[in-house]
Amino acid sequence: MSIGVKFCGGCNPRFERGLALEDLQRDMPFLEFEHAKEGVIYDALLVIGGCTNCCASYCQYQAEKGVIRMWDKSHLDRVKSELKKISED
Amino acid sequence: MLMTGEQYIESLRKLNTRVYMFGEKIENWVDHPMIRPSINCVAVTYDLANDPQYADLMTAKSSLTGETINRFGNLHQSTDDLRKKVKMQRLCGQKTASCFQRCVGMDAFNAEFSTTYEIDKAHGTEYHKRFIEFMKMVQQGDLVVDGAMTDPKGDRGLGPSEQRDPDLFVRVVEQRPDGIVVRGAKCHQTGSINSHWHLIMPTQAMRPGDEQYAVSFACPTDADGLYMIYGRQSCDTRKMEENADIDLGNKKFGGQEALVVFDDVFIPNEYVFLNGETEFAGMLVERFAGYHRQSYGGCKTGVGDVIIGAAALAADYNGAQKASHIKDKLIEMTHLNETLYCCGIACSAEGYPTEAGNYQIDLLLANVCKQNVTRFPYEIVRLAEDIAGGLMVTMPADKDFKSEMVVGRNGETIGDVCNKYFAASPVCTTEERQRIMRFLENICLGSSAVGYRTESMHGAGSPQAQRIMIQRQGNIEAKKELAKVIAGIKK
Repeated sequence: MSIGVKFCGGCNPRFERGLALEDLQRDMPFLEFEHAKEGVIYDALLVIGGCTNCCASYCQYQAEKGVIRMWDKSHLDRVKSELKKISED
Repeated sequence: MLMTGEQYIESLRKLNTRVYMFGEKIENWVDHPMIRPSINCVAVTYDLANDPQYADLMTAKSSLTGETINRFGNLHQSTDDLRKKVKMQRLCGQKTASCFQRCVGMDAFNAEFSTTYEIDKAHGTEYHKRFIEFMKMVQQGDLVVDGAMTDPKGDRGLGPSEQRDPDLFVRVVEQRPDGIVVRGAKCHQTGSINSHWHLIMPTQAMRPGDEQYAVSFACPTDADGLYMIYGRQSCDTRKMEENADIDLGNKKFGGQEALVVFDDVFIPNEYVFLNGETEFAGMLVERFAGYHRQSYGGCKTGVGDVIIGAAALAADYNGAQKASHIKDKLIEMTHLNETLYCCGIACSAEGYPTEAGNYQIDLLLANVCKQNVTRFPYEIVRLAEDIAGGLMVTMPADKDFKSEMVVGRNGETIGDVCNKYFAASPVCTTEERQRIMRFLENICLGSSAVGYRTESMHGAGSPQAQRIMIQRQGNIEAKKELAKVIAGIKK
């Protein structure tokens, strides 16, 4: 299952966004994460913001099973659960 | 096409830019130790754009071509674009702790885009069409452009046409069928040597009679007749010292200013965007200044983030991090820094579309933003110096710390003595303490203070310029009416 990843621009992130993605890749090796590209249809889109504003633009990307947004490292468990659910659907 | 930082640096080598420093021509200015840190700084704006973790801020979709471009070449299409501009600047400040120089061009692009549209509407000229073609070239080439405004101005009590020396404001000295010839100079030009092109604007509003001075144009940085004289910075020659590292404070990055001289430079018509329409010089100046006053709410906040971090580290290294007054000073620094950011974001959120379609910031809030910037960075560095202690300006040279010359009764070297007496908390090595102290010295009163302190005071206009705008935009009469209603005054 392919997951397009879009980061916010990281002007003042409250957590290490790159490490959050590494955590997901480590725990969910059965998913294919890649930086989102226009014109590619992903199963899901993961938007990783660095603060509550989560201002990353993502309307230009396509995902068949929805968009998952996170802006705090405490969201990791929820994200994993949502990704797992999508992968099982 | 997005260039990489390395490609940008290589592109500079292809230019025949004329640079003078210490009374001599600098042939290989790209690798000159006093200039290179400022080039590295601009290169960061390219590398971040190619990094997926930062691309959302660092890139945008061109309104002219639909291509992905560096945001420094963007014509803002929404208030979201304006906010992201400020966030991008904060990010670049965090990564360089310096002035990264590319904002002036971006701010000039947006001011020119909307102003040329309105000049054409009034005069039937074709400046806007020309400017669009220029912007397409800039965006497609991912070019750095110096937006140049400040003239030498000579006697401040006299207008451009009244000066004893007519060249103290950039002017047209010859009108030709195929273009114009310009003469004069622009002062304090941030990043001018590191730019591929220059975009020249008038320095102030013009009156009838000042037609030759109401001129705006673009020209390549290596145009025939154009040259630059490099501006000195405090402690700049430390960069020329052998194996300079710790004593520089910020070895990799720095800012740059120069005097840019136009010694009868020919500008083809396709790059002329204002030529005698005096009534539009003020609009161009006001719009550029507005954008640039917004910019300072981003870039200085980013540099402030690094200073706050350095002050906190200095406290840790001194073993003073638990003292309540230290914690309070760090809170105060953060409060001041985020207040700068608030105004940058606020004037962006309250932006509006111009007749040409790009977005302009809220002028009142942008001027309040810059007015804060003329003050708060000074307080932030004062607090940083307070926390760091006097060592940041009294510490021996790094060569002393590494010296093997025996000076002590028991065979101690100069290095042994320095490392013994400048050791502090066990959480750091003496070298780490040296590094953070030198960083603070550099930003508070060394070469980087040019960008963080005096540029905060005078860049994008000196404090009084903002106060004039605040007075104009402040709407005191409406406030009087509010008070009258509440107080029950009927007349």
